Amino acid sequence: MAQVAPQVGIVLVSHSARLAEGAADLAAQVGGGTVTVLAAGGTDDGGLGTSADKVARALARAETGAGVLVLPDLGSAVLTVRALLADLTGASVVLADAPFVEGAVAATVTAAAGADLTAVAKAAEEAWHARKL
Amino acid sequence: MPASSESITLEGDLHARPAGALAVAAGRFAAAVSVTAGTRTVDAKSVLGVLGLGATSGQRVTVSADGPDAAEAVAALIAILGDATRVGG
Repeated sequence: MAQVAPQVGIVLVSHSARLAEGAADLAAQVGGGTVTVLAAGGTDDGGLGTSADKVARALARAETGAGVLVLPDLGSAVLTVRALLADLTGASVVLADAPFVEGAVAATVTAAAGADLTAVAKAAEEAWHARKL
Repeated sequence: MPASSESITLEGDLHARPAGALAVAAGRFAAAVSVTAGTRTVDAKSVLGVLGLGATSGQRVTVSADGPDAAEAVAALIAILGDATRVGG
């Protein structure tokens, strides 16, 4: 479907490249495939950890005019993103405090519906309250 | 504001992808839209809420909407429930 307006992009920052890629794949499919969901997982040499360069590249690619929501998996991913955002002036990027998989899926679906960055971030953070059973 | 409601019997389980399609479609309407399965009612615009229904094949599901485009929202979501739950996913 052609998009008349830009959608919020999503960046998933994980210590594991495979975890980030799997979560991005799942979120993108549940969201119907129209939203840019990018994985930034693992270190530059493919190990477990986070890479500021990978995150920076994903942030740049995910921006299509409506801003970017970033979801970190665990503590030091948050530190990596925060350090990066401190140096990014003028960028429309929000760091979400949300469960990784559920937040990614909720954010992507909300972005696919055309919601703005504030609403997409809210959808991700509301994922704390969603019961599975 | 006009309100609208319609029910459908699912022909398959409400898996992640149809739940996503439902929530994406619901999010495009101005109306407040809810989905009811059994005793639970959730916001149709919340994919996690819709998934949390755990709606299964053969279950009767009701879509309700309240707002300026309520009738269109209900028609769109009933159509998605009819199509998507046949495919699964």
